Amino acid sequence: MSAKLRHRAPAIEVPPALPAEEAARIAYANDQGLTSHHFTPGEHPIVRIEHLNKSFDDTLVLKDVNLNVWPGEVVVVLGPSGSGKSTMLRCINLLETPSAGHILIEDDEITNKSSAEVNKLRRDVGMVFQQFNLFPHLTAKENVMIGQTKVLKRSKEEAEAEALKQLAAVGLADRADFKPAQLSGGQQQRVAIARAVAMHPNVLLFDEPTSALDPELVRGVLDVMRDLAENSGMTMIVVTHEMGFARDVADRVVFMEDGVVVEQGLPEKVFDNPENARTAEFLGSIN
Amino acid sequence: MTSMNRRNFVATLGIAGTALLAGCNGSEEATQTTDDAQTTDDSAEEASYTLVKEGVLTNVAELGFSPFEYIDEDGNTVGFDVDLSNAIAEKMGLTCEWLPNQAFDTLVPTIKQGGKADISIAGVTITDERLEDVDFSDPYLNSNQALIVAASSDYATEDLDAEDIQIACQTGTTGDAWIQENLPNATRVPLADVTAGMMGVSTGSYQAMVIDLPVAQNMLAQSFSDLTILEEIPTGEQYGIAVSYDNPGLKDAINAALAEIESDGTMDELKQKWFGTTDI
Amino acid sequence: MQHRRGALLVALALALTGVFATTLAVPQPAQALTTEKATARPNEDGGDGVIGGLDTRLTWEGTVEPGEEVTSVTLTLPEGSTFDGSTTRITALEGLKRMDVTGEAAPAGESITVSFDQPVPEGSLLRLEITNMQFPSEGGECVVSGTYVSGGETHDLTASKPIETIANTPLQSIVNWLDEQPWVEAWNSNQFLGMFLKPQLLVTSFSSLAPGWILCLGIVVAAYPFAIALGLLFAMLKISKWRILRAVAVIYINVLRGTPLFLQIYIMFFGLPMLNINIDNNILGIIVMAINSSAYLAEIFRAGIQSIPQGQYEAASSLGMNYVQTMFTIILPQTVRRVIPTVTSDFITAFKDTSLLSSVGVMELMMFSKNLTTVSGNITPYVAAGIFYLIVTLPLIKVVSIVEENIARSERGGGPRPKRRADVADNAAAQIAAQSKEVAADVC
Repeated sequence: MSAKLRHRAPAIEVPPALPAEEAARIAYANDQGLTSHHFTPGEHPIVRIEHLNKSFDDTLVLKDVNLNVWPGEVVVVLGPSGSGKSTMLRCINLLETPSAGHILIEDDEITNKSSAEVNKLRRDVGMVFQQFNLFPHLTAKENVMIGQTKVLKRSKEEAEAEALKQLAAVGLADRADFKPAQLSGGQQQRVAIARAVAMHPNVLLFDEPTSALDPELVRGVLDVMRDLAENSGMTMIVVTHEMGFARDVADRVVFMEDGVVVEQGLPEKVFDNPENARTAEFLGSIN
Repeated sequence: MTSMNRRNFVATLGIAGTALLAGCNGSEEATQTTDDAQTTDDSAEEASYTLVKEGVLTNVAELGFSPFEYIDEDGNTVGFDVDLSNAIAEKMGLTCEWLPNQAFDTLVPTIKQGGKADISIAGVTITDERLEDVDFSDPYLNSNQALIVAASSDYATEDLDAEDIQIACQTGTTGDAWIQENLPNATRVPLADVTAGMMGVSTGSYQAMVIDLPVAQNMLAQSFSDLTILEEIPTGEQYGIAVSYDNPGLKDAINAALAEIESDGTMDELKQKWFGTTDI
Repeated sequence: MQHRRGALLVALALALTGVFATTLAVPQPAQALTTEKATARPNEDGGDGVIGGLDTRLTWEGTVEPGEEVTSVTLTLPEGSTFDGSTTRITALEGLKRMDVTGEAAPAGESITVSFDQPVPEGSLLRLEITNMQFPSEGGECVVSGTYVSGGETHDLTASKPIETIANTPLQSIVNWLDEQPWVEAWNSNQFLGMFLKPQLLVTSFSSLAPGWILCLGIVVAAYPFAIALGLLFAMLKISKWRILRAVAVIYINVLRGTPLFLQIYIMFFGLPMLNINIDNNILGIIVMAINSSAYLAEIFRAGIQSIPQGQYEAASSLGMNYVQTMFTIILPQTVRRVIPTVTSDFITAFKDTSLLSSVGVMELMMFSKNLTTVSGNITPYVAAGIFYLIVTLPLIKVVSIVEENIARSERGGGPRPKRRADVADNAAAQIAAQSKEVAADVC
């Protein structure tokens, strides 16, 4: 993964990250009215993205992205393909290395960490992939257990109990001993969600979790995500094309295009009353 | 054709074995007419044998047995046996060809089976066991065995009859049998290739090797100066030319040619050339 | 020189006179003919024993003392031996020089009398090689004694050192039984069948090739774990981020894959002793096979590892696993399944390649069959060796195809499903989950 860093990134100058208190104050002021999530003065954003730039070879795919995510907030990122939304998500758990800028999780800068620290960071940031990426040689239960036992060093019994609990939560208790190949795509994705949730991350990232699914299987996955959003209080950043989900579940919708955050705000505001012409055009084309 | 002067003998040698399968008869009058009246001396048997290939005496041998048959630096098959087979072929009004190298232990079965080669001139000792499978011409050369060790070693022959001693030999040779019978406690290592055995003794993989004395003398002088002949084993064995029992006429014709080669001095010339002496 | 069976009557007469003369003549203290040695050729197929009741060759050597000449020699073996039907080869040497001595051999039961056409001169080494004689079938120590005639008088020969012989083996009895069967004779009269599938030789081959077969298996089975470990190591080196490690792996793999195993065997067997490293041949065989296979396995493993999708690494990373954890718990277990067919194929190749070790004298299957073929002048032992190889390779080939089928099926997602765990499905949590999420939609 990290071996492909030989591209010549154009040197981008960005200011240093803001001090935590100042950043929290500014974020509090800025985000008022942009999200239906309730946050309080003095509270700090759990994820803070400042001046994030990312280029692949000579192509700049993220251009000075700034975004705050509050603890417990559900943020849905929309945008046409190639807009950089997946890249931004992958930067948050360092599956992609930012070219410039800052990502802070709980006010902790993550862009300059050693690989051991990165591994530590990632256990707090869960990820659900478009292609599920279940481990095909392990059963559903073992998929959910392996991170717990290997990374969190939970005992086998503890991990198994947690796994069964999470599988039940996604409605797959009866599939615990099935191998991924024996499950439908929707079931696999729900196992993947259980796997991520079982790590008790602070932030859960969803990278187009339903894009690879047959239409009839999408709903089950969305239901699980909706349940998580409404009942667990988990901080979620979701990249998706599911407008209905965004409208119903999101505290805030972020619209990205061409590597830039074009517009963000309350779902009803962005959907019904977009300020930006491009947003309106995109939403129009979808709806 | 009946007598051969020195000059055309040398010419024969020059052309001998220019390639593995090259015909090697240098005299222009020896065309492929076996039933011709040219070879008057032994015309009685002329038509009474069959050949694998018309007009060609096909020979099979293990080609790592210098100075009898080996491949020289230029890739030619040369040696005492090669010259002898050329001379025999010439006497018979044939040309001769050599098949590609074959392991020694496959030579007798090859002749027995027939179809591939007419004869095997390959330093094959006439033994009663082999006579059960193939016929032999009259003996053409006497030979003995040699027990070879590294020059730096201080073995006596008796020391070699021990289990931790590995003695190399060429598979299926009389030397192979000699080890089994005379050094029964040693570990016998039968190999396809004489050079491999000598190399093994030289590097210390094996402690000794038993091989025909003329070959030992030749190869030690040529390339294995770090080896020495510990014992010359008097076996008095005799090399013969292996022929199929199904082809008695061929054996007779070869014997006639051999007799002629003995009597006209060709044999002595060959011995002088390859062994530096006629007293062998 | 080669004399086939003399007339029986003459033989008997000679033997009788020989025995008669022996009993009467008083042996002279000074011997004219001294026994040097008597040996017998091993006739145990694939072994080195001399079996009684089975054709073998007796070699007797004696020296004619100065001032003496020998005109006839009679050799006598213990009762139960037989020279009947034997042939005798006479060699007389002065030093290394062969002399022209011919003679007539008259076998008579346990004695054989060789009369020379001209006296064997003084100082010569006389060798008699008597082929197709038999020792007593009960085995035991056989002393060669006898008499000789020198200057018209008969004297006793000094007895030889005893020749160790063993009783006929059960296996040999089977062979003897086969020898007598008419169908075997008919079978063998077909030149092809007799040359490639001679029943007697098949029987002896199977028994005498077995140790070679076991050794082949032993070598490759012992070598393979090391090959796998080494292969894995070099596979990891080859995909390492460090250029130097990659270079080391590339050189190792390419040199070993790019040169014949034969050459590697030669270098190891002749090279190591030169460095004063002396290792047992079989161990050396294991080492060569392990190193050779490791290069092939390294490539197989590397390809297997690189065939695992990037998503697997990302999923493992996203759980916080480090490189070692990812490799050993996620990537390699999947690699193993994918490479089993190729690795098994390589194992089969390695198993067959042990035959090359015969070139340096490891007593493996081909070596034994070569020996047997040499002794018998028959191809059957090679056919038997082929059958031994197939005993191992055929089941493995089957294993490969089964595993390949399974992998193909599981990658299609159509693998067999475990029994539905109804008890779990019915438990409360699942029901609640099912109710709240309407999962029925995608149950398949």
